[in-house]
Amino acid sequence: MSDIKSLVLPLTEASVRTLRAGDLVTLNGDITITAGLPTHRRIVEYMEAGRPLPIDITEDTLFHLGSYSEETDGRFDVLYMNPTTSTRFNSLMPGLIRHYRLRMVGGKGGLDMASTAAMKEVGCVYLSFLGGGCALLSDAIVSVVAVAWDDLISHYRLVRLRVADLGPLVVGIDSHGNSIFEQCSRTAEERLPEIVKALDEGRARRTV
Amino acid sequence: MPVTYEQVKAVAAQLYGSALKKVPEDTKAALVSAHAAETSAVARSVLSMMIASARRAEEADRHLCSDAGIPTYFVKIGTAVTLQGNIRQAISDGFDHLVATVQPPILKHVTNPLTLERGHKGRSMPLVSFDLVDGADYLEITCSPKGLGAGRWAALEIFSFPTLDVIERYVMDCVLKAGSQHCPPVVIGVGIGGTFDYCAKLAKQASLRPFGQTNPEPILADMEARLLEAVNKTGFGPMGTGGDTTALAVHVDYAASHGFIPVAVCFNCWINRRAGARLYEDGRIETFE
Repeated sequence: MSDIKSLVLPLTEASVRTLRAGDLVTLNGDITITAGLPTHRRIVEYMEAGRPLPIDITEDTLFHLGSYSEETDGRFDVLYMNPTTSTRFNSLMPGLIRHYRLRMVGGKGGLDMASTAAMKEVGCVYLSFLGGGCALLSDAIVSVVAVAWDDLISHYRLVRLRVADLGPLVVGIDSHGNSIFEQCSRTAEERLPEIVKALDEGRARRTV
Repeated sequence: MPVTYEQVKAVAAQLYGSALKKVPEDTKAALVSAHAAETSAVARSVLSMMIASARRAEEADRHLCSDAGIPTYFVKIGTAVTLQGNIRQAISDGFDHLVATVQPPILKHVTNPLTLERGHKGRSMPLVSFDLVDGADYLEITCSPKGLGAGRWAALEIFSFPTLDVIERYVMDCVLKAGSQHCPPVVIGVGIGGTFDYCAKLAKQASLRPFGQTNPEPILADMEARLLEAVNKTGFGPMGTGGDTTALAVHVDYAASHGFIPVAVCFNCWINRRAGARLYEDGRIETFE
């Protein structure tokens, strides 16, 4: 369980399908990131219009990571990156996962079951990044491959980065329909009656 | 010598910077204890990374999170301290100074709720609230920048003559609703009573309480211990990917109320941003977490 799989990107569908919810992985290679809802909407517009994206994400990655990028002397530098809440993009992700046949998505907090279904169809996993992991995650940035849509504020831009040993990241949702997030919610719901009973019993003991 | 505009401005900037880059010592210790007690291998791995991230941010003088949050300051004014200059402005200018100078720079998270445009400034920013402390010879400032990840899940409901089981059940409902989303393990602040507005502030201030203090109200001390155990039985775990550690602490405060009794619940993510300082007239500045 605690063995960490070192993955080299891009991944084939077959290799994505070998990953299981609960696996720990590190990433090596190029990833595409953004933390913007307007960015996701723009991707959908491009998708619907059949326009190519400035950074091609077909059979590739799209992670919900915000980054600070700044331009000096005509080239972009990325000073740091960190995950944002993926569930904010729940309504848009199934369409993007299917259309671009994304192999890896991720951020923090997971995605809903509609995305999990889309991921199962195309062969895609969700990776959970450490929120508050900015210093560590940013150490994995090797170079900036591209920064697109710089008309948007920094964390909304579409950014492609070369990374080495990014992680460890937890496979939160695999390509077989298993979601740790959904499992955790279900478990908590199931345990709630017992938990509430223990709360009540504890309170009763105190007041006796 | 009074506490001056310049001092307050410098402290307001410094507190924000330190809240962005340093996890409080008690919180780091709680993460280490949680790591030792965790039964889930994935959770231990996530907790290890949290501990390493806290260390790395301090060593490298970097941000813990890319979400610098919205600037929030709580000010307590001692009635025995003399102030010179515009103190609210000093806090606002201190924040502006931080934005202009902090390295690495912070992203734009202050959002106009009417247009969703984002920047570093906005109406009523920074959010500053003031209280008086009778007889105290200092000005106390606490900075707790609030990010989206945890900020989004705070909730308040108004009950009519709720019994304790109703209140505790509501806290659990909020915990289940937040689920894996708020960068657990979290600190949970609960306010009971007062009015709508007062209750929310009680909850937030309770969340800022240092770890390890026993609640002076026995009913609440008992409630805190039971709720902490209850929350950690849910199994969401660190970053919500499963485990025994969903909360590091539950802190509850209360105020007398009417028969309509608000209950407010808020969450601080694992980096538990809080940084404070007391400024005295002799120029001393004592910082605390």
